[in-house]
Amino acid sequence: MKIIHILLALLIGLGLGLAYSWRISPVTYVDANPAILRADFKDKYRVVIAASYASTHDLERARVRLELLGDTDPTGELSAQAQRMVGAGESFENVQPLAQLATDLQQGFASLPPTPVAFVSTPLVNTPIINMTEAPATNTPTEEPLATEAQSTVEAITPTPTSPFAQTALAPVAASPFAPRPTFTPVPPPGDPFTLVGQETVCEPGSKSGLLQFILMDARRKQIAGIEIIITSPQGEDHSFTGFKPELGNGYADFVMKADTVYSVRVVTGGASVPDISAPTCKDPNGASYLGGLMLTFQQP
Amino acid sequence: MIAAGIGIAFGLIYGWVINPIQYTDITPDILREDYRADYVLMVAEAHQSDHDAETAARRLAILGSDSPALIVASTLDYANNNDFTQNEIMLLQGLLTAMQTYQPQGATAP
Repeated sequence: MKIIHILLALLIGLGLGLAYSWRISPVTYVDANPAILRADFKDKYRVVIAASYASTHDLERARVRLELLGDTDPTGELSAQAQRMVGAGESFENVQPLAQLATDLQQGFASLPPTPVAFVSTPLVNTPIINMTEAPATNTPTEEPLATEAQSTVEAITPTPTSPFAQTALAPVAASPFAPRPTFTPVPPPGDPFTLVGQETVCEPGSKSGLLQFILMDARRKQIAGIEIIITSPQGEDHSFTGFKPELGNGYADFVMKADTVYSVRVVTGGASVPDISAPTCKDPNGASYLGGLMLTFQQP
Repeated sequence: MIAAGIGIAFGLIYGWVINPIQYTDITPDILREDYRADYVLMVAEAHQSDHDAETAARRLAILGSDSPALIVASTLDYANNNDFTQNEIMLLQGLLTAMQTYQPQGATAP
């Protein structure tokens, strides 16, 4: 009987302790890292990373900053966010930096040269770096397990002051005139017309029905991101942009056509309208009909 | 009584140390100082080319209820004390100036 009373007291005490530590006074974060930001704040963080990159064209730094968000596929997340923003009606100007960064990460180099800055003599940058495997160094902020990073206000644990960031010794590209430059993605000059050079019917039973795919290339057959395409139908007008799916090519864009609808397609940066575009009817090996797709290839002369 | 005390102690240790509440959806105002500084630096880098004080102020606003100028000023202090490059400090100073002179839409100048 006595043992039962002791066990009961233990359990009650345990319950009270858990209630206090989980409900009444839980661990409070005071030094969080970007990886545990709420999804909408992560989106805002990515927008700022892309805007910063659009200014500096420092691809390595942008990549490191994106890694702080802890995404398994940072490039894919960028592309997905760009598409979400387009779907939400954001302007192309707002979405373009994300698409550009995704494209550049995919291709592995900045498509524009780094912006010359006023002071370029210091070869150090201060972006926090992730160190997932090594033990935290004294003055290097690292990604730590959540449980250890959490600081309990109840326990009055004060975080050890960190001296700033691990110094990522990147070569100051703007300062070294002999540094090799990446190949630039050509930006099409205004008015340089795109012409339709290929139109293929895509009949693949597993593919998306009515998928209208675009590939836009420059005169050297290099795919170009950031080109707007207007698809017009009797129901209205839709806009698509190349570069939002860099995994399929920088000059790739797509649109889903409806059955029995005739579209016309126009590449905004120059180029004539291509009329009478509609989803073809295909037949599978069993003779059943299904809605196929089209692939249109545009090229600058 | 002793058993209850031991139970409470175990409960507290478990809830605070072994299996504390894990936050996954935090707001940026509790980011560690170096991450906050890097975020502000990104805003400054973007502002350097777009010169859009409204957008910069909006981006800084997610870091808390302090005024954008105060957020940049404290970041500038941090940068001065933590080996930021001269160019980065210049960018932050530029952003600070912009935020000090920034008037939100609808606000009237004194």
